[in-house]
Amino acid sequence: MASRSGTGDSSVSSAAGSGNERTTQLLVLGAGPGGYTAAFRAADLGLAVTLVDRGAALGGVCLNVGCIPSKTLLHAARVIEEAREMSAHGIVFDPPRIDLAELRNWKDKVVAKLTGGLAMLARQRKVEVVRGTATFVDPHVVEVATDNGSERIRFEQCIVAAGSSPVALPFLPEDPRVIDSTGALELRKTDGRLLVIGGGIIGLEMACVYEALGARVSVVELTGQLIPGCDPDLVAPLAKRLRGRYEQVLLGTKVTSVSAENDGLHVAFEDGKGSSTQVFDQVLVAVGRTPNGKLLDCEKAGITVDERGFIVSDKQMRTNVAHVFAIGDVAGAPMLAHKASHEGKVAAEVAAGLKRHFDARVVPSVAYTDPEVAWVGLTEGAAKAQGIAFEKAAFPWAASGRALSVGREEGFTKLLFDPETRRVLGGAVVGVNAGELIAEIGLAVEMGADAADIGLTIHAHPTLSESIGMAAEAFEGTLTDLYLPRKKRAT
Amino acid sequence: MAGNEIHVPDLGDFTDVLIIDVLVKVGDRVEVESPLITLETDKATMDVPSPRAGLIAAMHVAKGDRVSTGSLLATLEDEGAAATAPAAGGAAPATAAPTIAKPPAPAQPTTDAAPPEQDAAKVKSEESPGAATPSPARGPQPSPAAPIDEAAFAAAHASPSVRAFARELGVDLGKVRGSGRKGRVTGDDVKAFVKAILSAGAPSPAAAAALPRVPVVDFAKFGPVEVVPLTRIQRISGPRLHASWVNVPHVTQFEEADITELEDARRSLKLRAANEGIALTSLAFVLRACVLALQKYPRLGCSLDAGGQNLVMKKYCHIGFAADTPDGLVVPVIRDADRKDVFELARSLGELSAKARTGKLSAAEMQGGCFTVSNLGGIGGTAFTPIINAPEVAVLGVSRAAQKPVYRDDAFVPRLMLPLSLSYDHRVVDGADGARFVAFLAEALGDVPLLMATLT
Repeated sequence: MASRSGTGDSSVSSAAGSGNERTTQLLVLGAGPGGYTAAFRAADLGLAVTLVDRGAALGGVCLNVGCIPSKTLLHAARVIEEAREMSAHGIVFDPPRIDLAELRNWKDKVVAKLTGGLAMLARQRKVEVVRGTATFVDPHVVEVATDNGSERIRFEQCIVAAGSSPVALPFLPEDPRVIDSTGALELRKTDGRLLVIGGGIIGLEMACVYEALGARVSVVELTGQLIPGCDPDLVAPLAKRLRGRYEQVLLGTKVTSVSAENDGLHVAFEDGKGSSTQVFDQVLVAVGRTPNGKLLDCEKAGITVDERGFIVSDKQMRTNVAHVFAIGDVAGAPMLAHKASHEGKVAAEVAAGLKRHFDARVVPSVAYTDPEVAWVGLTEGAAKAQGIAFEKAAFPWAASGRALSVGREEGFTKLLFDPETRRVLGGAVVGVNAGELIAEIGLAVEMGADAADIGLTIHAHPTLSESIGMAAEAFEGTLTDLYLPRKKRAT
Repeated sequence: MAGNEIHVPDLGDFTDVLIIDVLVKVGDRVEVESPLITLETDKATMDVPSPRAGLIAAMHVAKGDRVSTGSLLATLEDEGAAATAPAAGGAAPATAAPTIAKPPAPAQPTTDAAPPEQDAAKVKSEESPGAATPSPARGPQPSPAAPIDEAAFAAAHASPSVRAFARELGVDLGKVRGSGRKGRVTGDDVKAFVKAILSAGAPSPAAAAALPRVPVVDFAKFGPVEVVPLTRIQRISGPRLHASWVNVPHVTQFEEADITELEDARRSLKLRAANEGIALTSLAFVLRACVLALQKYPRLGCSLDAGGQNLVMKKYCHIGFAADTPDGLVVPVIRDADRKDVFELARSLGELSAKARTGKLSAAEMQGGCFTVSNLGGIGGTAFTPIINAPEVAVLGVSRAAQKPVYRDDAFVPRLMLPLSLSYDHRVVDGADGARFVAFLAEALGDVPLLMATLT
């Protein structure tokens, strides 16, 4: 799944204080990518830091049940897929024999290595780690419900990095065959018919894994497009590929009920034309995530939480209570680990007295599907909605030697430019390794590079990264790898 | 919740005002008008009272923080909620309190908990503000007061490191002109921008260098000495007086007013005024005369605009008066002095003077003056040359009245004469106008019916 940042669900504690009380300069609630980054940075700046997390291992959703394990499984899926693809070109493998226990074990080892590394980094910095679920008691005290009762922590400043939780659909039955993203990573059953409810990034990533491991996958999405909010042209190559491999891709379709029967899960659908029922062996729910802001008794500290559960913070990540900061998923969309860790650094530095602001222009988004879809900065949809003038240039991978040689020519690279300054405002990549390629465009936006800056930078040949330079050249009218209409050619 | 938040009231033009004392803590019960914190505004301290009664649920500021109008100070637990909750739960009110009665340490983050080396760094940076080492662990501060155009900041053609550098210096990046290729803003551009602002605002290094320096003397060589710091007010007023002295071309015009009849009238009215709790001083009459003079010669109450090309004529008449306090000189301002008769002016003088002596003047009570009167008559002296309270353009000095022989109707007669000294900004007021103004003042002070006339 995509790079989720938070620490996941936390439950409300109502235990009475046991009289234990420790004090700290900076309390960090949540040890996801935002929280641990904030804690470590603040410790490096000389603050005494206490890090509270409910999980057994540091790292939050991202490391434990999010980005990292999902990417491990996606790699496995990719290998299976590539072996299958080569059969068309004379290299024929037998169908793979899949040992789920071993695969799960490998994934767990990757996670353990990373979270263990975090624990080590915390020790080296003398960051005190408390396992438990924290709730505010007043503006300077939290109560932490731990396995051994509860204790109070008095703090001078606090960074809330409490993350988000998967949204549950109210009508779903309690049944082991109904799973969320966390359950999906456990790989309990990877064959039979799987329905993925939610055509967003998380749902499609898990669909990709399960399809490679042998499941017959259907995806149902309420809106009319996979990855809602993404520019439609970016989704088209992915949608085309998925339609060829999945049993069904149901768009504009609502799931109205799921009933657990002995022969499977009976799922009722409703679209514009009518309703129908199908039976599935498993249902994976990935309909979004909701911030954990309402689980912390924020009102006792006077911290404002909006009706959706986000804790509102300013450009220095301060909440309405000046000594309390909020970062990551709980502070607002996009709910992405790399946004959280950047915010975590800003909050830690401000807490330590530095004059920092969240001044990043853009936050990249990546769907680690097959093909990958990645975008950063201005999108066409946002530009049209906000009336921002732009010109676009694209380079289709069908003209890229490298893309052809890896057998994946469905991708393309697109850049959006300011017509006046010719600076790049945003861009997108669809295709294998798009998530890696998007970095260059992000750097270009942050640096204020214009089309000539990108086009005149020599990109190695043959690479997929060339496509970014070529898209810029297409805008400049200097591209030779495609035949451009005369009016677009530069002299 | 929002209804229970207490914010800093209107502080007038002041921003980033220092909190020098926090008078309540979480769990305290406050009444309407109970003081919550003490602010040190320009030249005075001021208590911020609670607008409502209630239990302090949260304090959002600490001693040493700086606040501006609208900053969140405290959150009250609603009296209503506190009263009704126990009733609903069937518990005695006493049980409601203990849940928050254990007061957390007043919010003093990082100030007293900063590691020693950071304290040292802080002291060092205070000593030499120019050598601005980033002083860590300064604790929560609200966002900088100088408003930054965030949209322009984000749109500036500057790389992430230059943006961070601009934040460090509090520079509004949208205002910086880029010298790099295609107008790119570089780190050097940010530095140059700050330098330009510094040299435009404070006395420029060049100007300062042009002024001959007072020699530095080691007084201890000549005998025992004791170093006594200037008071806070003196530290604030000193640079202002100096700025006026070096920036404004002063001319001082002297005059004497015959106040023999005025003094007789004052003595006869004094008792009546005293019965109303008013100390009817001769300064009240001087202020009344100044109002009349300013109405006739409004130029003496105007200011030069920032560019020095235009006069700002004021359609109001607020008059300041210099008040002596144990800590130094302050100038409370009587608002709408033109709408007050002599008795009302005397009452305002009394009230503001009392506040000045106890350091309770609010910021607003020291702002907005058009003209200032400095009265040393109660102490002595025959004349003095007052410094203009810039950006006002004139100040009237009043010295001690004395009986003097005045040649009148072919004979010397004893008359009570009041010495007046009018300093004016010669860029705005020319000599003839200055002389006319003091001559009118003297005439008005001799004309008791005019001064006592009912306000129109």
